[in-house]
Amino acid sequence: MGSTGSKERAAVIGVGQTKYSSTRGDVSMAGLVREAAYRALEMAGRSWDDIDAVVIGKAPDFFEGVMMPEIYLAEALGCVGKPILRVHTAGSVGGSTALVATSLVQAGIHGTVLTLGFEKQSESNAMWALSLPSPFTTSINAGAGGYFSPIIRRYMEVTQAPELIGAMVALKDRQHALRNPYAHVQDPDLTFDKVVESPMLWDPIRFSETCPSSDGACALVLTNEAGGDAHDGPVAWVHGTAMRSEANNYGGRNVVSPQASEDCAADVFAQAGITNPRKEIDAVEMYVPFSWYEPMWLESLGFAEKGEGWKMVESGATHMDGGDLPVNCSGGVLSSNPIGASGMIRFAEAALQVMGEAGEHQVDGARRSFGHAYGGGAQYYAMWVVGADKP
Amino acid sequence: MSDDVLRAPLVLEYPFTRTTGPVIGGFLTGLREAMMLGAKRSDGTVMCPPLEYDPLTAEPITELIEIGQAGEVTTWSWAGDPRPQQPFEQPFAWAMVKLDGADTPMLHGVLVDDADAMSTGMRVQIQWREERTGHIADIAGFVPETGDAG
Repeated sequence: MGSTGSKERAAVIGVGQTKYSSTRGDVSMAGLVREAAYRALEMAGRSWDDIDAVVIGKAPDFFEGVMMPEIYLAEALGCVGKPILRVHTAGSVGGSTALVATSLVQAGIHGTVLTLGFEKQSESNAMWALSLPSPFTTSINAGAGGYFSPIIRRYMEVTQAPELIGAMVALKDRQHALRNPYAHVQDPDLTFDKVVESPMLWDPIRFSETCPSSDGACALVLTNEAGGDAHDGPVAWVHGTAMRSEANNYGGRNVVSPQASEDCAADVFAQAGITNPRKEIDAVEMYVPFSWYEPMWLESLGFAEKGEGWKMVESGATHMDGGDLPVNCSGGVLSSNPIGASGMIRFAEAALQVMGEAGEHQVDGARRSFGHAYGGGAQYYAMWVVGADKP
Repeated sequence: MSDDVLRAPLVLEYPFTRTTGPVIGGFLTGLREAMMLGAKRSDGTVMCPPLEYDPLTAEPITELIEIGQAGEVTTWSWAGDPRPQQPFEQPFAWAMVKLDGADTPMLHGVLVDDADAMSTGMRVQIQWREERTGHIADIAGFVPETGDAG
């Protein structure tokens, strides 16, 4: 599966993000995406004229009621006279969008591509959109938390994980967020006890173990090998990319560690020549909208043996301070969640780590990092490995 | 068998919010004040209604200027039997109107009694609503130019 064969090499040369917040009432969606795109172009030292194509992603249409953003946003993204494409894969869309853009470079079709994900949750209600009624079935109106909580309970039962592992993840990600000026939730006074005492929303998920609703956009400028070689600035080279999907409504699947997740991770690590992800990856940006998904994904992706993910969390292995595998140094989805952008933020933050541009949340000497997104009912997966060195 | 296949209605409704931003918001605020604003582009031409970013150069629009309230019909189509969802109850013309001081036309309705009163190149002027909210419908429609302000 997957191949690196005759592909053109691809590299990230620009990353742009907006400050994530609950409401960006000062800008339209066009103004929001423009801000991220412009910052990515600025970091890349490129202008609109240097961009050959634009690939955008956003959350499902019902999330904010914009059905065809590729029409509305064309001039804001400088697309006149160029192709613009839109990608859909629910919550993983930011990751899939970055990978579609990467594939246009790898295929040699375009030399330099701008890719962008965004969401204005303040203009919508994701909880409503995630609980749409359907004839002949009873809607449980539970949103994503209600959907995932029994899956988390299953993980806890199978692995005998202690009850408060999730609270440890939540505190860690919120501590990391304090080092990222773009992160939405910034609470220096948060303590472990406060996380544990926060209201239980969907047992075992507490309020402080849940992602916020954010407005924001994230953009990347990707270029080919010649562009990366010639670039006068930090570069993150793409070492591997993979996407997988599986059936959402099949009761027989492994919901704790879906086959598509395991296959996608195995593929991306094989492409990057990685046999021991925990040792060979220096920084992880993983899609963790509910705290317990950190230990679950650590196992599913191959960073931990089955049943051992929660022990990594408990030992502090995923904390920036002293951990050997820092996870979500940016604060993760738990600290910023403009859904349509959240996957791309993981990919962007992974790139920033190997570019040495992550500022206060930089992992010293990071050479290879991993970006991850999942979406739907843990149905879609998108992953990449990026490195400071050319593959 | 096929007659027995179950069917049911599915209604999905949600009141979304839209934020206009400074350019579109500025234009709509102008309508509320019975003022027409156009977007000045770097080549000196003026777009009305404005877009937030120049559709040819991708530059941000930073300047709104007041333009005229009368202009020229550049093309039109007669709606002699308006349907209930259309914005006017009486017969009207859909028309592209290039306002004085603007270089691009806008779509709106021209309120005349019959198609014989319409022609490309005819002069029309804005008829404002009494109560305005910052909405494109603050313009009740265009009428043949009389020289009197709306």
